[in-house]
Amino acid sequence: MKTWHRYGICIALGLLCGTAFAVQMVRGGLNDGLIAVGPWQTGKSFGTADASALTRAKVSFSGLLALPANEAMYFTADRDSDGRALDGRCSYLVNGGKLDGRWWSITLYEGEGWLVKNAVNRWSIPASAVSIDASGGWSFNVSPRPTPGAWLPTGSVKAFQLTLRLYRPSDFVQTQPDRAQLPTIKLQGCV
Amino acid sequence: MRKWLIPMLAGIMITAMAYQATLLATPYALMYAALQKIGDRTQPNRFAFSPMSTADNQPIVRPSPDLSYSTCVFDVSNGPVLVDVAPVPGRYWSVSIFDARTDVAAVRSDRDTKGKPARLALMKKGQQAPQGYEPVVVKYDRGLALIRILLASPDEFPAIDAVRRKSTCRQI
Repeated sequence: MKTWHRYGICIALGLLCGTAFAVQMVRGGLNDGLIAVGPWQTGKSFGTADASALTRAKVSFSGLLALPANEAMYFTADRDSDGRALDGRCSYLVNGGKLDGRWWSITLYEGEGWLVKNAVNRWSIPASAVSIDASGGWSFNVSPRPTPGAWLPTGSVKAFQLTLRLYRPSDFVQTQPDRAQLPTIKLQGCV
Repeated sequence: MRKWLIPMLAGIMITAMAYQATLLATPYALMYAALQKIGDRTQPNRFAFSPMSTADNQPIVRPSPDLSYSTCVFDVSNGPVLVDVAPVPGRYWSVSIFDARTDVAAVRSDRDTKGKPARLALMKKGQQAPQGYEPVVVKYDRGLALIRILLASPDEFPAIDAVRRKSTCRQI
């Protein structure tokens, strides 16, 4: 084998491996592991010039046009509070209290971040859709079938994510998102 | 085996460079695709007023079904672009300016303007903002202005739609 053959093989493999690894990393979703809060994960630098090349690429792939943290924070969960992957054929109870921001909503997505078709055309639960109890708590169900109370349908997809949008988060949440009080996601059962 | 040592080192370097180049190119490529897709709906430097996002209407990834979106693909290569955003009383709204790398050049919301309209002049270095407009210098000629308005329920859409259509995006 000639020298240039060896160079050609190694360079071609290098191009292929480098590109493939980058695509694999970018396709990993918004959860780049920067900050975890229970089942939720987020980053502080979405939408800013401070973002790393990886974070910027991930956000452009899975959350294009995301706002910076002083305007909105995005917490995404693809696992429940016990670490199991969220499955659209199962039912979950999302339970939380007062969230430290001006407004919030939780939206269900599949794949890179697409709304899921369902019979009632409901894709999110905003703060205005839940009943607040005497202690300030609230909950809603995420399930393939209708349930009493606030219900977010899964469309029976194999895997899904929940994205919590917190608009105008408090200074505390912006600076210490790992200490934010966020909802729990508990498995109730599977079909 | 020694004959492979230097080619393999070159391959490792190329791997690292290809990885970094792919990461750097991804935001530009995806933003370019988004600008093309959104730009198909209207002329440059004009707002397009999208219907609410649903499973059948998702122009971009991870849309919020609780927000109405209005988008203007701007191009400052021939002069500043003026963005006037009509306020929507009593609810969250914001206008954000994204550059070609997906970075946010500016965000102004109802809290910032205290209920008044947002008036932004998008421009590159060396251009002048008209009086009464807040200058926003962008690093690239093209980008996107995006208005978000929060709806408490889908029933509010017709009323909100009427208000948001008072917002304008225009080149001087």
